[in-house]
Amino acid sequence: MRKQKDRRAIQIRVAQFGGVSEAWLRAAFASPSAPSQLARHIMEQLDLQLEAEKPVLSLECLALAASPAGITRMFLRRRSGAWFSTLEAGRIGKIIAQARRELEEYLAGERTFFAVPVDLSQVPAFERAALEVAAQIPYGEVRSYKWIAERLGKPDAARAVGNAMAGNPVPIIIPCHRVVKTDGSLGGYSFGLVRKEALLDLERRRAAYVGCISTKIFCRRGCAHERRIREGNRVNFLSFDDARASGYGPCSVCQPA
Amino acid sequence: MSQSHKSDEALFRLVQAGRRDAFAALVERFQHRAFGVALHILGRRQDAEDAVQQAFLRLYEARAQYDPRWRLSTWFYRILTNTCVDELRLRRPLVPLEEWDEASVERPDHTLERSEREQVLHAALATVPLEARIVLTLYYGDGKSYREIGAIRGISVNTVKTHLRRGRLALRRALRARGVDGS
Repeated sequence: MRKQKDRRAIQIRVAQFGGVSEAWLRAAFASPSAPSQLARHIMEQLDLQLEAEKPVLSLECLALAASPAGITRMFLRRRSGAWFSTLEAGRIGKIIAQARRELEEYLAGERTFFAVPVDLSQVPAFERAALEVAAQIPYGEVRSYKWIAERLGKPDAARAVGNAMAGNPVPIIIPCHRVVKTDGSLGGYSFGLVRKEALLDLERRRAAYVGCISTKIFCRRGCAHERRIREGNRVNFLSFDDARASGYGPCSVCQPA
Repeated sequence: MSQSHKSDEALFRLVQAGRRDAFAALVERFQHRAFGVALHILGRRQDAEDAVQQAFLRLYEARAQYDPRWRLSTWFYRILTNTCVDELRLRRPLVPLEEWDEASVERPDHTLERSEREQVLHAALATVPLEARIVLTLYYGDGKSYREIGAIRGISVNTVKTHLRRGRLALRRALRARGVDGS
């Protein structure tokens, strides 16, 4: 009975545009009370956050190798110590330093793509092709092994794709962690499933695009221009289209697409 | 309690000086409006709670960067809406997109009773494009002016109006489809 009455009241208040009235909208949008424990939870979280937190994957447990053409391998280190190639001079040293910087930003959630070159010349052709497809999967999204197999024109080769991902010489930079099984389970990961999950979680927590309110330009997260945007000038966008529809233009350096 | 008469900005200066109790007072002050905004943007109570929590933590983390030329509420709402945009990523299932089953996306909220109107509104809002949904929420839910919304989302007043017009149209269409109609 009451429900019927409510609905009638709603219908009576409908006014212009042959739709729902402004008054209905204001009433419907009226703020509901926050849950009673919310404020307490926030303060608890704050206290927890103020303590140091230990990341699952940090720069200290990664090591890199490179050729003059790009990064050739990434290793997981059991013991911490200096990066063995960082003292390397010339082009290789530069590549390693760039990779190190980009990885640091990526793990902090401040970067959504890698610009450092990768050298896959030692990887067999099929595996290399599969890894190149995997490299195209956007930040924060996942695809299946089967999806990659289909892209390669070999729809039955999902298992071979799985092996190619397992042999990925440069995890994280080539995002094989974004490849999962068709049933939604994680599949495997050479750095361990806990880390695969942590990486996917990290990516899902950050919008890929950041706009600057003074320049009206938006970047992929991690672009040099994006990093110069001050906290007060930042606007996050979930998609390219959202940013465009808000009157923002794409950065010409990182070229969001 | 002794802080109830202080302005938002004055309270935040205390937060910057390291006063935990001042931050707790701000949380008390903003939590309901923040929850409402997050709820309308995200549509689910659990997600809204997470987003509000996250936004307050970011507010605290960025306390040194607060620019006093801004109103604190504008600053906070910017962080909150940014957090909501980020939070929508958490919805992305760990299942390849092309194999995602529509039916499992909409999980009914059993945890808390919701009014019929709220449910209808959120079902309809889910069809409104994200940026327009954010603008609608700030406008109707929080009574923000075009200028304030523009400042919060970093867009011009004209873009606010465009989002609002499009959002209203989409929302009305969706509400009509759900039986909330003038006929």
